[in-house]
Amino acid sequence: MEITLQNLTKVFQSKKEDEVVAVDNLDIVIPSGKLYGLLGPSGCGKSTTLFMICGLLKPTEGRIFFGNEDVTPVPPEERGIGLVFQNYALYPHMTVKQNIMFPLENIKMDKKEGLKKAQDIADLVGIGHLMNRKPAQLSGGQQQRVAIARALVKSPRVLLLDEPLSNLDARLRLQTREEIKRIQRETGITTIFVTHDQEEAMSISDEIVVLDEGVTQQVGRPQEVYNKPNNLFVAKFLGTPPINIFDGRIEDGRLIIGDANIGKFEAPDQEVTIGIRPEGFKIAERSSFQVDVEFVETIGRDTTLIIEHPNVETPESFEDPEDDEDKVDTSAIADEFAPDTDDKDMDFTPKQSIRSAKTFRAIVDADYGVEPGDTVKFSVKPHKMHVFNKETGELVKPDA
Amino acid sequence: MLEDRHNIKSWFYLAPALVLLGTFIFYPIFNAFFLVFLEDYNYLRGTFEGFTLTQNFRYVLTDPNFHLAMGNTMLIAFVSVPLSVVIALLISVWLNAVPIKRLQGFFQTIFFLPYVTNAIAIGMAFAFLFNQHYGLVNWFLGLFGISPINWVGLRAGWGTAMFSLLVYVTWLGLAFKIMVFLSGLQGIDKQYYEAARVDSASRSRIFRRITVPLLSPMIMYITVTSFIGAFKAYTEIIGMFGERLGPAGNDRAMITIVALVYDALDRSGTTGALSEAAAAALILFGVTLIFTFINMQVSKKRVHYG
Amino acid sequence: MEQAVYGNEKQIKRRRRIRLGIVYALLVFFAIFILIPFYWMILTAIKVEADVLRSPPLLWVSPTEWQFANFSLALERAPFVRFIINTVVVAVISTIGTVITTVLSAFAFARLNFFGRDILFFILIATMMIPGEIFVITNFITVVNFGWIREQTYFNAILAMTVPFMTSVFYMFFLRQAFKQVPDELYYAAKVDGKTDRQYLWRIMVPIALPTITTITILNAMNTWNAYIWPRLVTQREEFRLVSNGLRDAFDEGIGPPLYHEQMAAALIVTVPLIIVFLMLKKYIMRGVSRSGIKG
Repeated sequence: MEITLQNLTKVFQSKKEDEVVAVDNLDIVIPSGKLYGLLGPSGCGKSTTLFMICGLLKPTEGRIFFGNEDVTPVPPEERGIGLVFQNYALYPHMTVKQNIMFPLENIKMDKKEGLKKAQDIADLVGIGHLMNRKPAQLSGGQQQRVAIARALVKSPRVLLLDEPLSNLDARLRLQTREEIKRIQRETGITTIFVTHDQEEAMSISDEIVVLDEGVTQQVGRPQEVYNKPNNLFVAKFLGTPPINIFDGRIEDGRLIIGDANIGKFEAPDQEVTIGIRPEGFKIAERSSFQVDVEFVETIGRDTTLIIEHPNVETPESFEDPEDDEDKVDTSAIADEFAPDTDDKDMDFTPKQSIRSAKTFRAIVDADYGVEPGDTVKFSVKPHKMHVFNKETGELVKPDA
Repeated sequence: MLEDRHNIKSWFYLAPALVLLGTFIFYPIFNAFFLVFLEDYNYLRGTFEGFTLTQNFRYVLTDPNFHLAMGNTMLIAFVSVPLSVVIALLISVWLNAVPIKRLQGFFQTIFFLPYVTNAIAIGMAFAFLFNQHYGLVNWFLGLFGISPINWVGLRAGWGTAMFSLLVYVTWLGLAFKIMVFLSGLQGIDKQYYEAARVDSASRSRIFRRITVPLLSPMIMYITVTSFIGAFKAYTEIIGMFGERLGPAGNDRAMITIVALVYDALDRSGTTGALSEAAAAALILFGVTLIFTFINMQVSKKRVHYG
Repeated sequence: MEQAVYGNEKQIKRRRRIRLGIVYALLVFFAIFILIPFYWMILTAIKVEADVLRSPPLLWVSPTEWQFANFSLALERAPFVRFIINTVVVAVISTIGTVITTVLSAFAFARLNFFGRDILFFILIATMMIPGEIFVITNFITVVNFGWIREQTYFNAILAMTVPFMTSVFYMFFLRQAFKQVPDELYYAAKVDGKTDRQYLWRIMVPIALPTITTITILNAMNTWNAYIWPRLVTQREEFRLVSNGLRDAFDEGIGPPLYHEQMAAALIVTVPLIIVFLMLKKYIMRGVSRSGIKG
């Protein structure tokens, strides 16, 4: 089932008359039978989009198509969707079996048939042996599977997952993401999931869309988006550890940071922002990019060098309360969703804040044996480096 | 969908409750204010002479029983409530200190019993406890050489009868307060106590500086609601003294404001009776309001909301 | 002070044991204070009349001399079984009514969005401040006008005792709190599964809030058991009365000897059912009360 979002817009009206545009003119085509990730920081409009696809929210403007069918006016229960909530939303007083069979009641399925169906789905997600337990007796990972089973039992045309991994601990996350991938492949259902965790999105999606402030930033296969970011936001949002950002300039066809020449770049002279992935540095004898190493972290075969540099741009946190959708005055729109209200959304920020001002990271081979206090010279791998317009943040391409 | 207001549907859900509340709560409130301003209203005949601002209030206020009723009501409230709050607070702190859970549950059950008894039945038991000749109280006092006192018997005095009543009312009020305080205590973060112990604060200091302040919103709530409850004292008196509201031969010695309301209601067929009932009830409401207002003013300064 | 803090382990242990001993002693003292009226009631109920009227009183009756005849005497004096049945009937009907009306309205307040919701809720809460006596006056006239008092039938008596109590602002408030704790996602999940609001309420919300509903049921039933004023006002015949009135009236004639043994036997008959219910449902009652229940 191919899903088309056409000029999709959602405006939240709050009591104080100020409007919040959560989703702004979204145009996306979600290919049939794929695992599709909606990725973005807290408040980017991704959950709002998901809830519009499932019909719990009405778009302010625009249309939603399932295949050729315009489902915009269709209520959620008739859209043929399965929805898995971030906190799973299992009915606590029902057993696993009752939970899974609950959606079948309204489609008048034969009791025996329903039971068989529920058992099949439960077996598929690997909880077939837990049918008589209550949700409280299950681990987080098992609850998640029950939620997926409940969403799948109606044989939906589309499966929607809201932050499917955020309530799981790190170990379960890895396991579950493989599991989701497997289930998606076995059922072949078009699956859309929402996440703020770029690692999660990159690791399981066939394709992702990066959203910021309700606007599409980039669409593509995860690796493609990572390797060729369209703009500074996408470059910064993807990758762990995050990309290093420098103030730089283009001068006479050369890229300059401070007074070091980084490489050739044929473009008009201008001030630019340069992003270099941590793995984009190489220790080289013949280079003018000379720095003093402050700290060294060695993990396995990689060594991370932490280096202070005056031209590093302080990394911004993606947690900006001002444009958080949960700041929408929800009392005014009582039954409306307050999207992304879960504070789990924020849990990637500590990683960012480890980086203090004016330092950058470089990952190099441990064999070099760099010590704190050493002076090293770097060259930069061209394909790990991205140059952006200082004003707009758009990618600056070298003249061909 | 979700954004829509469900006006019609909502009122459908509310309708049963609202019809009942409208008939038995809202209408009576307005009607009480209406009745109280009618002059010589007779509800059997449906007649009244006109409207009056003060006649009915004046009638109640000059009722020879009014001062006694007001005095009794105030005395019951201002003695039994503070007493039972303090005792309940102490008992709940001690209960909370019991390390064995089963034992704590056992005591808890005992202390809760007064809550689940019938006020009339237990009031009768109290009356017999205070019996001059056959009661347990005088037997106990006799152990100390005190000769039997006529607490609640024939022509017993106001003082002894009131004392017995206060013991009963206090006893009856403990259970609810102990439960509420205990659940409040169990909700206090143990860290406060650990921190205090590390600072080697003494027991009484911990009680005064940690327990009471942290429990103060609950103490305040209980105190206010108990006062409001005590202003309405009536069933307890019926339980101990019967409809005569006092020791035999000293009838109506224990009369309260609420008793005045029901007295008037019992005469509902006579001219002016319902208006007097309304006036007495509104006076009670006024007392409650003033008291609650004062309490809220005090609590603003004193209560620590954690 | 130094020593108190760094005192050796033995000292500390001993001090703790002494302190605990004092706590137990105080608890036992107050427990006795609480239990004495019950003991006195039971003791008097099983004494022969001659022993009841003895000074100094007997503090113990050996099991061989227990007088169960007092109970049958009490039951002859007034139809206590009838009173208990009446009370149970009134409690069941008013509780069913209360649960239905409060569940529906609490759902509207907790889950639905409608014009004037917050104002209406505030007004309802404000009425909790007003003493019930104000309502009683008019409600009495109202039930008279409904024809439930004059030439009263049993059915009318039951109506008069139940209908005015078929809802409660306090329980509504209590239940709304419980409903509000049910995560919104369950509602959305049910929506996606094609459930209507009505199905969601009865299939999801009510089962989840069942402990609170149980508490409401018990508190309401207990109030009926204790109800005195209203049943006294609206019942016209002795056999329609509830336990509290029945008990009081049976021994309030003021003629003849006071018959303490019968009084206490009757009081015990009225007290025991409630205590049995309490011991069975202790968990729910205590939870209801400690979550700030209000008696009366």
